[in-house]
Amino acid sequence: MIDLRGVQARLGAFELRDVSFVVPTGKYGVVIGPAGSGKTTLLETIAGIRPLRGGMIMLDGRDARGLPPEARKVGFVYQHGYLFPHLNVDENIAYGAASRETARDAASRIGADGLLGRSVRGLSGGERQLVAIARALAARPSILLLDEPFSALDPRRRVSVRREVRTLHREWNITVLQVTHDFTEAGLLGDVAILLDAGRVLQSGPPERVFREPASPYIAEFLGAENVLAGTVHHLRDVAPDWATGDDPTLDPSARGRHAIEFRAGPLTLYTVGDAAEGPGYAVIRAEEILLSTQPHPSSARNVFRGRITEVASSGALTRVTVNVDDTPLIAALTTRSAEELALAPGQEVLASFKAMAVHLC
Amino acid sequence: MTDAELRASLWLTLVTATSAVLCGVVGGTPIAYLLARRQFRGRAILSAVLDLPLLIPHPVAGIALLLVLGRNSAVGGAALDAGLRIIGSPIGIALAMLFVSAPLYVSGAREAFARVDPRFEAVARTLGDPPWRAFRRVSLPLSLRGLVAAAVVMWARAVSEFGAIVVITYNPKVASVLSYDRFTSFGLSEALPVAAVLAILALVPLTLLRALRYGRTAADMGWSGDS
Repeated sequence: MIDLRGVQARLGAFELRDVSFVVPTGKYGVVIGPAGSGKTTLLETIAGIRPLRGGMIMLDGRDARGLPPEARKVGFVYQHGYLFPHLNVDENIAYGAASRETARDAASRIGADGLLGRSVRGLSGGERQLVAIARALAARPSILLLDEPFSALDPRRRVSVRREVRTLHREWNITVLQVTHDFTEAGLLGDVAILLDAGRVLQSGPPERVFREPASPYIAEFLGAENVLAGTVHHLRDVAPDWATGDDPTLDPSARGRHAIEFRAGPLTLYTVGDAAEGPGYAVIRAEEILLSTQPHPSSARNVFRGRITEVASSGALTRVTVNVDDTPLIAALTTRSAEELALAPGQEVLASFKAMAVHLC
Repeated sequence: MTDAELRASLWLTLVTATSAVLCGVVGGTPIAYLLARRQFRGRAILSAVLDLPLLIPHPVAGIALLLVLGRNSAVGGAALDAGLRIIGSPIGIALAMLFVSAPLYVSGAREAFARVDPRFEAVARTLGDPPWRAFRRVSLPLSLRGLVAAAVVMWARAVSEFGAIVVITYNPKVASVLSYDRFTSFGLSEALPVAAVLAILALVPLTLLRALRYGRTAADMGWSGDS
């Protein structure tokens, strides 16, 4: 278990301030944050490489304050590997390994066995990352800290190594904390997501919740939410309205008992349910929650707007369509095939609709 | 080489310079490592004190050493009581060499350690190495070339020292003092052979330094033999 309570650390003028989160034993945590947000400093502080200036770090139930890095049973993989250049691949992997077999096993599981016997100077960035991961795993740590460990791997290899690390994490019951810029990776791997910015934790929790219910418009935009609208929250009733208490089988049960809310964002009025206080706020609607149609048709969606397409941008299987609704752009994401079937094109009039539960207020 | 006095002088120079370098390496390496790796109160003062012998005229350094190690000083008196003569002996020569050339080693070694990213050592620590073992297995091998280069520079400086030695120990004569002595006593023609040998001797560390620098450049660019 990695349990941080009010952690403070410093690197030059940069400070980690009041960082608190928990990654339970055997779970996989992901740290997401912009460049310079303190992700590497955070991992180094947990590993004992940087001194703790305040707060508490508990590792597997032990107070890690005062424990040197070698006593923390923590494996560390830097983005650039930091392979020892005076040792070859075998010697690097065996450096902290419990035994020769453990080293060989870690190398083969990660797919670094083909590199054995080679000098590290001739390795590519991706190969260095493989060796660094194998080296850390060979020491059989109870906690593994990974600082963008797959960033230099080619896409095919990245998928397989990511899967293998996830498997080893389960088999060997390793608690993992990984830094990543890749939101897909965060969603795929993480049991716990920690959002870090300017040395502070903005939000933490299950990735699904962090992505769907960002705590602020800043977080929403950082996480790539395409539609973040500023406006005003008005409560309609104290209990959920009929459309939220009806027999819609897709209705989120947690909606019951919450306020029915009208959110006015300029000329748009959105309907949702939630516990947001009345007054200024932000509405976040993920692009994939917005449906587009060329004809009106009956549906349970409470928010339906007529608008005109201003942009259609395809990238592989996904297409993003920008619809101008009363001078407010709404971005919808749909499969390229759907976009082709609907023959969506700029200038075309469409209906954009989304359910009340697709609107997250913050 | 048939000049027995020159042979003895060269031998004395090599032995005292090498002894000074050994002492400098043993004492200077931890200091250089601390200066390269740690931030601590008084770090700037320690650096300044270490560089001081480089800035003061070497006869002045000799006089300072004479004050500290002379027979009337506490240290010199205690050494004499213990049967150890410093002034006028090879020990005095080695100490004078150490005093004026050790800062060059410390400075070079500090740079060598600073060139090694501390994250290598951090990784070694997470792989189970306590600080000393991480230093021995990672930092030391990675900075070895720079440390050897710094030791070579120190040795070259020690061999060529004159000002501090001539104040402390005129006799027995090291090569630089012998060359001066021959010049003032017998003129240029007698001093020339000693000067020539010293010049040739200076080529040895110079060649070594070039080789070390070439090797480092090649290794940095990934041209080393093991790639």
